[in-house]
Amino acid sequence: MVARPAELHRATSSDGAAVGPLSFGQRTRLAAEIIVAFVRARHALHRAPIDTAVAMLRMHARARSETTATTPADIELAEARRLGRAVVRTLTLVPGDTRCLVRSLVLTRLLARRGIPAKLVIGARAAPDFLAHAWVECAGHPVISPGDGSYGRLIEL
Amino acid sequence: MPTNLTPDISSLAEAQIRVPQHVVYRSFPSETVVLNLNTGKYHGLNATAGAMLEALERAPRVCDAAAAVASDYEQPHADVERDMCELCQLLLDRGLVEIDGGPAG
Repeated sequence: MVARPAELHRATSSDGAAVGPLSFGQRTRLAAEIIVAFVRARHALHRAPIDTAVAMLRMHARARSETTATTPADIELAEARRLGRAVVRTLTLVPGDTRCLVRSLVLTRLLARRGIPAKLVIGARAAPDFLAHAWVECAGHPVISPGDGSYGRLIEL
Repeated sequence: MPTNLTPDISSLAEAQIRVPQHVVYRSFPSETVVLNLNTGKYHGLNATAGAMLEALERAPRVCDAAAAVASDYEQPHADVERDMCELCQLLLDRGLVEIDGGPAG
């Protein structure tokens, strides 16, 4: 399911900062889309380096049309955050590796299909112990948890 | 043309080393974290090795980078150059750096 920009506008509350709840049917279609994206993300990661996997998942992305380009940034951000929450919730129920990189790849695909520009960020920290983390940002705002703020950015894809 | 062919370790001193596009790194106070995007593997370098990697990127040849680090750390140039050549060898083995143009004549 690909939400059209017009639907995004309709789903926006009067303050313009939040998107309305999805119907049961919309939630089901979104969950199915997340599962498909998860399979594609795992497949892409298995076959290619991370940067190529990101490019593969962005293939067939919807170009930013004139309508999309004029969608207010806060509406896109609200939609991106909602998708981020949906990805995390849905993948919690999925067996296999659903850690931060896979979650971020799935969300990257969902956002690309809707023409919402986003960056996948990979970060790391060295102390007190080594940890790496991946998350997604839209317009500089994290839309999936960036961790506790201790991660330095290694690369944006 | 970059190459991963590894020359004799002593000849690395005259080589030009570059960090390929599929490798990114970031220096932290205690460590430098290097990510090879092709393998998805992270590597850790201690602070001295991290400083050497940064010097290698800036300098035209390994020996020039060694001279800069030797000056910064006030260590004998020959010792630093030997250590840097060994580091280059380790990084080459892991695909984290490439030799640009091969060793100079």
